[in-house]
Amino acid sequence: MESLHFPQFDPQISQVSIALFTKVSNAGALKLRIIAAATAEGQAGDVEREAVNFAFIDARLITSKLHLETAVCQALLAASQDALRTRTVHSEVLYNLNPTHNITEAIRRYGVSDANTDVIVVRIDSPELTPEAVLKKMEAVVVGTLSPFSDLENITDWASIKKYHKLNGELAITEAAKDPQKEHAVIDKIVTSSVAMKSVMS
Amino acid sequence: MLDSAKNNRQDLVLDSMPILQQTLQQTRSPLTNPECPVLALGLEGSANKLGAGVIRHNPDGSSTVLSNVRHTYITPPGEGFQPRDTALHHREWAFEVIKSSLASAYIVMSDLDCICYTKGPGMGAPLQSIALIARTLSLLHNKPLVGVNHCVGHIEMGREITGAKNPVVLYVSGGNTQVIAYSRQCYRIFGETLDIAVGNCLDRFARILTLSNNPSPGYNIEQEAKRGARLIPLPYTTKGMDVSLSGILSAIEVFTQDKRYRPNGKPQSSEDKDIITPADLCFSLQETVFAMLVEITERAMAHIGSKEVLIVGGVGCNERLQDMMGIMAQERGGQVFATDERFCIDNGIMIAQAGLLSFRMGSTTPIAKSTCTQRFRTDQVNVSWRA
Amino acid sequence: MATTSASMRLISSSTLISQGAEAKVYKGYLTPSGSAVLLKYRFKKTYRHPSLDTTLTKARVAGEARALLKCLRSGVNVPGIRMVDASEGLLGIEWIEGKSVKYLLPSGADDGDGEGEVPVESPSQTLEHFGISVDTLMNLIGIEIAKMHLADIIHGDLTTSNMMVRDPASFTSLDPKVPTELVLIDFGLSYHSTLVEDKAVDLYVLERAFASTHPDSEPMFAGMLAAYEKQVGKEWSALRRRLDEVRLRGRKRSMVG
Repeated sequence: MESLHFPQFDPQISQVSIALFTKVSNAGALKLRIIAAATAEGQAGDVEREAVNFAFIDARLITSKLHLETAVCQALLAASQDALRTRTVHSEVLYNLNPTHNITEAIRRYGVSDANTDVIVVRIDSPELTPEAVLKKMEAVVVGTLSPFSDLENITDWASIKKYHKLNGELAITEAAKDPQKEHAVIDKIVTSSVAMKSVMS
Repeated sequence: MLDSAKNNRQDLVLDSMPILQQTLQQTRSPLTNPECPVLALGLEGSANKLGAGVIRHNPDGSSTVLSNVRHTYITPPGEGFQPRDTALHHREWAFEVIKSSLASAYIVMSDLDCICYTKGPGMGAPLQSIALIARTLSLLHNKPLVGVNHCVGHIEMGREITGAKNPVVLYVSGGNTQVIAYSRQCYRIFGETLDIAVGNCLDRFARILTLSNNPSPGYNIEQEAKRGARLIPLPYTTKGMDVSLSGILSAIEVFTQDKRYRPNGKPQSSEDKDIITPADLCFSLQETVFAMLVEITERAMAHIGSKEVLIVGGVGCNERLQDMMGIMAQERGGQVFATDERFCIDNGIMIAQAGLLSFRMGSTTPIAKSTCTQRFRTDQVNVSWRA
Repeated sequence: MATTSASMRLISSSTLISQGAEAKVYKGYLTPSGSAVLLKYRFKKTYRHPSLDTTLTKARVAGEARALLKCLRSGVNVPGIRMVDASEGLLGIEWIEGKSVKYLLPSGADDGDGEGEVPVESPSQTLEHFGISVDTLMNLIGIEIAKMHLADIIHGDLTTSNMMVRDPASFTSLDPKVPTELVLIDFGLSYHSTLVEDKAVDLYVLERAFASTHPDSEPMFAGMLAAYEKQVGKEWSALRRRLDEVRLRGRKRSMVG
C-alpha cells in the first residue's frame, strides 16, 4: 500500500492510501455489499458504509500510478470546491477515470464487478487515520493478495482502454502501433491527460 | 506572448533585440536644436475634423503650441459622414479655420518655415481637398510642403505633450486600431485590428442606438455607459497582439432586437426586472472592447520590456479606457500617458509637429509629389528624427 | 487560512519561475512524493470587469488544455496535463527536464533577458550533451510543427524558446537513433484552424523568431522547413505558396485609413 499526502487540501481529505490487490476472490460480493450499504439505515448502516468507504477500482483499466493519482487529485479538487458530481469523493475518482459525463457508465466500467480479480482500493481521509489502520480496513473487506504497484503492468487491459477513450485510429496510436512499449507509454500519457482535463473537456 | 509556460527563464521576445539596443542608444538623437525658432502650419482633414494649428520649435529644444483650431463636420443622429459631404465641409471651412489659426498664433503666412498636411491614411475626398489647399498655400506664399502620415502625427504629438520617452503606443481612432512601438527609424506595428477600427465600431453602434453625433458619437457612448450596470456577454476576440471587432458589433446589434431590450432604458412595470438598456449595451461594449485593447497593449509591453504606454487617437480621450490602461500599467510598475480631446481628437497641430520634425531633418515634399493616399501604413514612414 | 483555495495554497508552496503578461509560471508538486509539475497561473486582471475576467480565464485555461490533449492524441510531443482548476485559472502540466531550443542554438548578442542566468557551457557542447546535431534538431522541429498543423492546431507563438529538448539523462528515448525528444510548449495563444493562411503565419512567426534570435538562421530554418515539408505531405504546395505571400506582405495587410 502507498500513502500520498496532498497538503494543499483540507486535512480531512489530504491523505490518500492506494493499494493493489491481486487474486481477489470476492469482487462480486463486494459490489453487492457496496450497493446495499448505500441504502442501509440506522447505526448498522453507518458501520457498513464505513466498512466499504473506499473507491474500489477495476485495476485492468488503470494505465499507471500517475493515471490513478491524477483522478484522485481532481476528485480532491472537486471536493474542496463543493463541486462533486457524484455522491462521495471516492465515487468521484471513478467518475474522473471515465471519459464521458455518464456516472452510471463510470461506475459500471471502473468499479468492481464479478469478473474482477485485480482491484485497486483507494481511501481518502485525514492523516489521523494511520496507514496501518487503513490497511487493516482494506484487508477486512477485500479477499486477495496485497501486491506492489509495479504488478500493474501485467494487469492493464490496453485494448479496453483504447476502446473507452476512442483512441483507435488516433494518429498518436497508429504511429506507435508497431512497438507495444511505446504504444503503452503514449496511451498512458493521453489517458492521464484526459483525466486531468476532464472538468474542461469539450 | 510572455504568459508562457516556460521551463527556462529566458523569455524570448520576437525581434526585441534591436529595440533594446535602440533604448541604449536613445540618448543620441539625430535631431539638433534649431539655431532660431522654426514655425510650421499643420493642416488636417483626413476624416470629419478639419484642423489647422501652428507650432514653434525653439532653440532650447522645447516647443510651443501657438494655435490649434478645429471645426468638426457633425451629421444628424443615425448618420455617418460621407466622403463627398465631408470634403465639401472642409472646403467651405478651410479659409475660416486657417485664418483663425494664424490670427490666434499672432503670425502671418510669411512667418512660417513650412506647411504640413496630412498625406494619409484617411478618406480620399477629404484628404484631396486638404492637399489641394496645402499646395495652393505653398505656391502662393512660396513655403516648402511636408506631407505627414496621420498616425505618426498622433504619436509625435502624444510624445511631445506627455513627455513619454519610448512608449508602447496604442493608437485608437475611427479609422485605426494599432499597437505600435518604435524600432530603428520605424514605428513598427505590433498588433492591430483584423477588421474594423475601434472608433468605427463605437460610432456604428452609436448610430444603431441613434445617439447624437455632437460632440462625437464616442463621447455619447461613454456618457451612456456610465449609467450601465449589466454586463452582456459579447465575443472577446484577441489573437496574439491583434484584435477583431466586427463580430462584436454584429453580436451587440442582436441585443437591440432582444425581447428584454428597452430602447428608452426604463422598465415597463415594477415587475419588469430582467431588462437590457441602451446604457447596459454601451457599458458592455466598452468593457469588452477596451479590455481587449488593454490586453494586447500589455502583451506588446511585456514583449518589448517597456513600462510606458501612450494612448493617442480620438478614442484615446475615453476616460474608461484611460483608467483601465492605468490599472494595467500600474500593476506592471509603469505608467500611462494620455492627452485630452484637444490633442487626442484629430487636429492640425499634430500634423505641424510631425511635419516640423521631418522638415528639421531636411525632408520636404516637392509639389509634384504632394499627393495624398488613402492607404499609408504607420510603418512606411522613415522616422529620421529619432535615434 | 480556511478561506484560501487549494490551488492558491498549492501556488504559495511552489517556486516562481517566470512572470509574463498574463500568467505566472511555477514549479511545484501536487504531492510531495510525486514528480514536479509546471503550474501556469493566469492571475486576475483587475482592469477587466470581474465577471468578464472570470469567464475569459476559464475559457483560456480550458482552451489550452484542449489544445494540449488534441496534440497528444495526434502524436505531437507536448507536455502531459496534470491538473486543471479553470475557476482559479490554474493549469498544471508535466515538468520537462531539459533546455529550450533557444538556449541550445548559438544566439546573437546578449539580449539582456537572461535575468542573471549564466550559461556555464557553450551551446555547442550542450547540444552534444543532448546527443544530437543542429541538423537533427531542425529535423525534429519540422516534424513536430508539421504534426501539429496536420492536427489543425495553430500554436500562435512559435519561437525557439517555446520548444524544449528533453535531457537524455532523465529521459528514456524509445527511438534508438535519437536519445532525446523535441517538445512544443506554451499553447496559451493556440487555436484551432484548418486555414492555410493561419499555418503559414505560424511558420512565418517562427522564421522571424529564428532571424531575430539566432545569427545565420537561414540554413537552419531551411532545414526545419524541409522536414516539415516531408511530414506535411500533399498540403505543402499550398502552404509554401502562402508562406511566400506572407513573407512579402510581412503578415499585415495593407491599411485603409
